Amino acid sequence: MQPSVPNQDRAGVANNPKFWPGQLRQTAHRGLRVWLRHSLPFWLLLPTLIVLGITQVYPGFYTLWLSLQTRQPEGWEFVGTANYARLFNMRLFAESVGHTIVFLVGYVLVTLGAGFGIALLLNRKLRLSGLYITLLFIPWVIADIIAGLVWRLLVVPDYGLFSGILQNPALFPPNGLSILTAVPPRPWLGDFPFPPAPAMVYLILASAWRALPFIVLLMLAALQTIPTEIIESSRIDGANRSQVLRFILLPLILPTLIVALFSLTLSGMNGVGMVFSLTGGGPGTSTEVLSHLLYSIGWGQREFGRAAALAMIIAVVNWLLILGTLRVTRLNG
Amino acid sequence: MKRAWSFLASAVLFAMVLTACAAPAPGSAPAEESAATEVQDFVTWYQYDQNNEDPASDERVGNAYLRASIPVFNEAFAGKWNWVNQPKAFDKMETELITAVQAAGEVPDLMHAGSGSVTTFIRNGALQDLTEWAEAQSWFADLDPNGVEACRGPDGKLYCIPVAQQPQLVFVWKDRFPDGYPTTPEAFLEQAAALKAEGHYAVTFFGSTDFDGEGLSRFVWTTISSFGGKLDDGAGQMTLNTPENVAAIEFIREIVAQGYAPEIAFAGGFQEEEAFKDASAGSFPTGIFGYRYVNPLTAPNGTKYEKRNEEDMLDAIAAGDVFLAPFLAVEGQKPGCNISVSGFVIPVGAKNVEAAHDYINWAMSAEQNPGWVLGPGGGFPVLKTTQSHETFQTPFYQQAAEVTAASACSPWYGSLERRAEAQKLIMTAVYKLIKEDPTADIAAELTAVEEEYNVGG
Repeated sequence: MQPSVPNQDRAGVANNPKFWPGQLRQTAHRGLRVWLRHSLPFWLLLPTLIVLGITQVYPGFYTLWLSLQTRQPEGWEFVGTANYARLFNMRLFAESVGHTIVFLVGYVLVTLGAGFGIALLLNRKLRLSGLYITLLFIPWVIADIIAGLVWRLLVVPDYGLFSGILQNPALFPPNGLSILTAVPPRPWLGDFPFPPAPAMVYLILASAWRALPFIVLLMLAALQTIPTEIIESSRIDGANRSQVLRFILLPLILPTLIVALFSLTLSGMNGVGMVFSLTGGGPGTSTEVLSHLLYSIGWGQREFGRAAALAMIIAVVNWLLILGTLRVTRLNG
Repeated sequence: MKRAWSFLASAVLFAMVLTACAAPAPGSAPAEESAATEVQDFVTWYQYDQNNEDPASDERVGNAYLRASIPVFNEAFAGKWNWVNQPKAFDKMETELITAVQAAGEVPDLMHAGSGSVTTFIRNGALQDLTEWAEAQSWFADLDPNGVEACRGPDGKLYCIPVAQQPQLVFVWKDRFPDGYPTTPEAFLEQAAALKAEGHYAVTFFGSTDFDGEGLSRFVWTTISSFGGKLDDGAGQMTLNTPENVAAIEFIREIVAQGYAPEIAFAGGFQEEEAFKDASAGSFPTGIFGYRYVNPLTAPNGTKYEKRNEEDMLDAIAAGDVFLAPFLAVEGQKPGCNISVSGFVIPVGAKNVEAAHDYINWAMSAEQNPGWVLGPGGGFPVLKTTQSHETFQTPFYQQAAEVTAASACSPWYGSLERRAEAQKLIMTAVYKLIKEDPTADIAAELTAVEEEYNVGG
């Protein structure tokens, strides 16, 4: 940065016409203008920084502080890492970690797979494709809670719209299938909840249905940016459909795929509305994911210290997921 | 010139942000303050909404009560108080109050609450001690001592004012149990097998883990206490692995394994009620307040009760199609049941405690008390003089009184202080034992749960 006043000795200033009063005022104004020009980005960013500070940074530090406290009638009491220790001793916490992994993998794979497939179809410029896109957007405008309730009402045992079909032993031997109450199958890998309970599969499908419009739109936009010449020339060179898909389309929309993966993973990790209204974490604990456990400990049991500890753990997992995705993005150029 | 505009724009933006941050909260204007000195707002939190006039609303009884009572109260205290009710979701209002108190936010002057929440509120420093004030009131000596006890904290102080008691009992379709409701587990299983042979379920109940284990306070505790079981040692520690508790869970496990209860019992969302509404299940152990939620009804003989409000159950009882019964019990035990008390709490930070005191006195008056017990209370009066009021001499209340007298009702939590945590832990374990893994070792699972809870103390 240039100094606004030349570095001269003070006696010389009085004798130099450049620094007579009028000149001095002008120099000061110039200095102010320079300072303002240099600091303008800061002033423009300030409102955003204030908002971020209030809505992100302060709650983050407050949650960290809260995770080290427990509530007594007299006020908060510092307990160090006791809340974290209690969480790790909860059987339900370990179960929830397993359920979260199963849910995330299923949710991301189903949504990305279906989203990509539908985007490919819509990219073929079908008749009425505008109508299809409009219809496709219906789930996106429905609130999580409402979507969950609707999906729930479809399969409520004995009384749901599809319960007659699902609970028919001839179709689903030996006793029919009651999605919301069916017992999870015996796990293949120790206590890890795989294969998932029917309710978990249903939750994954419902959540994927809800997220599909956004992913389809994202993919469709990416597909439409690919010049048709590239695809046509690859066809001329003898590439078949799967080769075009594998070597042309997928590499070209990879950045979009990563954005979609990023978005789905975070929304799947943190979303609670669908679990809350569709399964409530049940049957038993078979759809109890970390975000719902957090809700349950905080709002159900009013154990705010322990809930804050779990929130910190979830935040760390989120950061790791973000860093992992960014690293994968960089590796792929 | 461009720079001057940039400077001006950023200065205006900055000023706007500062102004927004420094803007006074609504309602703090001096003019409003002076008006408030004349008639002050009295703010309450109820799970009912006076503005909801939907006749199909689950909470229509409480909604209608508030709609009718608010003008009456405002007239009685004209020029002094203006009752403003802020409706809250029943399963969120406790947490909302605690967070409001801890964050020094806006709290009501009075909240409708159940005795089951008292220790949670106390642990979170959310309630005012009402002992001294309540004991000085004329109605205090007229309160049922059990109701008063339910409102006391572990320190012996009174933190809520009990107004209605809500015991659990069994709603029974007469045609499914023509010889009366079974009184022993063996008799129940025998009749359940006969009903199953006819294509009916013997019982429906809240069997899911929904609402953080709410089912424990209903059928599960009713069964455990009817088998002589307990969930605590009387000193705040959980004791689950007892022969009585194991026997009770074996009994429920048998009901589920034999298919004497419908699948919807485990679906959550209070949908277990559906099986009683259409009489596919012959009995339904639940709270006395259940009468207002379980409708419309179709009796086994085809009679339909379709007003789609609380009168359906009352009509079915009056017609003799439904009767109320105590639960069964093992030899030497009285039928058990859970009992909760519904009443008022005054939060820490309430601005208008004087109005809250006036309101409680008003609600405890002979004219107002029966209406409150019938409306928001949904149970029996705690005031002894109100118990003899003509309102509570109907077939429904008479039967309910007999059932309660024949039962040994007690709060499920005993001396457990972290009730919400205990409820979820126990109900999750019971669900696993009766539904998810019916071959699991009951004693081992109960031991694991009690250890997990007691370590957290």
